[in-house]
Amino acid sequence: MMVLVLALTLGITLGLLTNIMVPAAVLTYLGVSVLAAIDACLGGVRASLERTFDDKVFVSGFITNTLMAAFIVFVGDRIGVRELYLAAVVAFGIRLFDNLSTVRRLLFRRWGWE
Amino acid sequence: MPDSAPKRTRETLIHLKDESIRRIMAGEKAVERSFHEARLVATLAAGLLLVGFLLVAQWRGNATLQNSLDRQSDQNLAIIIQQLTTENSSLRNEIMALEVRIITAERDTLDRSEVLNQATRELNGLRVIAALEPATGPGVVVRISDPERVLLAQDFVTLIHELRSGGAEAISVNGKRVGSNSGFSGEGTRIVLDGTILARDFEVRAIGNAQSLDQSLTLPGGLKSTLSTFPGVTVEIEQVEEIALPAMKTPEFAYGEPFEE
Repeated sequence: MMVLVLALTLGITLGLLTNIMVPAAVLTYLGVSVLAAIDACLGGVRASLERTFDDKVFVSGFITNTLMAAFIVFVGDRIGVRELYLAAVVAFGIRLFDNLSTVRRLLFRRWGWE
Repeated sequence: MPDSAPKRTRETLIHLKDESIRRIMAGEKAVERSFHEARLVATLAAGLLLVGFLLVAQWRGNATLQNSLDRQSDQNLAIIIQQLTTENSSLRNEIMALEVRIITAERDTLDRSEVLNQATRELNGLRVIAALEPATGPGVVVRISDPERVLLAQDFVTLIHELRSGGAEAISVNGKRVGSNSGFSGEGTRIVLDGTILARDFEVRAIGNAQSLDQSLTLPGGLKSTLSTFPGVTVEIEQVEEIALPAMKTPEFAYGEPFEE
């Protein structure tokens, strides 16, 4: 568990240190993509707590979800339904909270708080 | 039981062998599992690392975009444009007001310098007339020789008066400036100007319009003809381009004081 927290912290530090600048055109897509990535990671944590984690599923899910999220926003932009990104946001948001609550419960069980 | 002992030993051995093989296999499995687990954790950690990185990048980019004009709504842009237009026009007004002030100030300065110039000219003129400064300019030189010593102080008073009437601004007699409080006096045959005895070959210099000065003396029945009737007296008048007169000794003022009505 510590490794995961450490990895997240490292990623944030890296982002702060590299001073990366995302082009404005990519920004809208990246926003939803980040949401998808967070969701995928939370799903991965949940799966690992349930001992059903599979790295192939995780990696493929991570990549597919982020790319699909960006793609949905892109398509929405192109066909004039700019609000299509809301679909991705809502879907990932619900999944995110779902995963989060499951992770919480699993952690409680593991630490014997239940 | 000689037979059972070896058999049992064999069974035990087989059992032990099986046990050890099983143990080794279990160990291998455990190692494999732990490797597998480590790989899973590493994958997840890599995912989280990527998430953290992307999160910061997005956060940063969005923060800068939020301030850019691209992201503003049309309404906001309209408001911004309006504000800028208002600001622009008020600045333009300010520029105009300031330009007007500059023009006014320049005119004021011109006026003031004009007044100052005028005042300076007047002051210079007054200084010349008051004989407090050396003066130079065009004028006439009047040479009078009086070997018979017949001229009186009054004749010089008349001469000075005539010259002043002719527009003389500054007059000197024998190199002595004649001021507003100068006076001629006669003691016997001597003529004294402000306490100095004048030599008998007089040279009177006057600054002014040379032509009119000359005329004022040479009029028919004027001073020149009058003086020339005296025995031995000759009068020469010469118009000159430029003569220089010394300043008068600054008089000591003891009694009079100016006052404003």
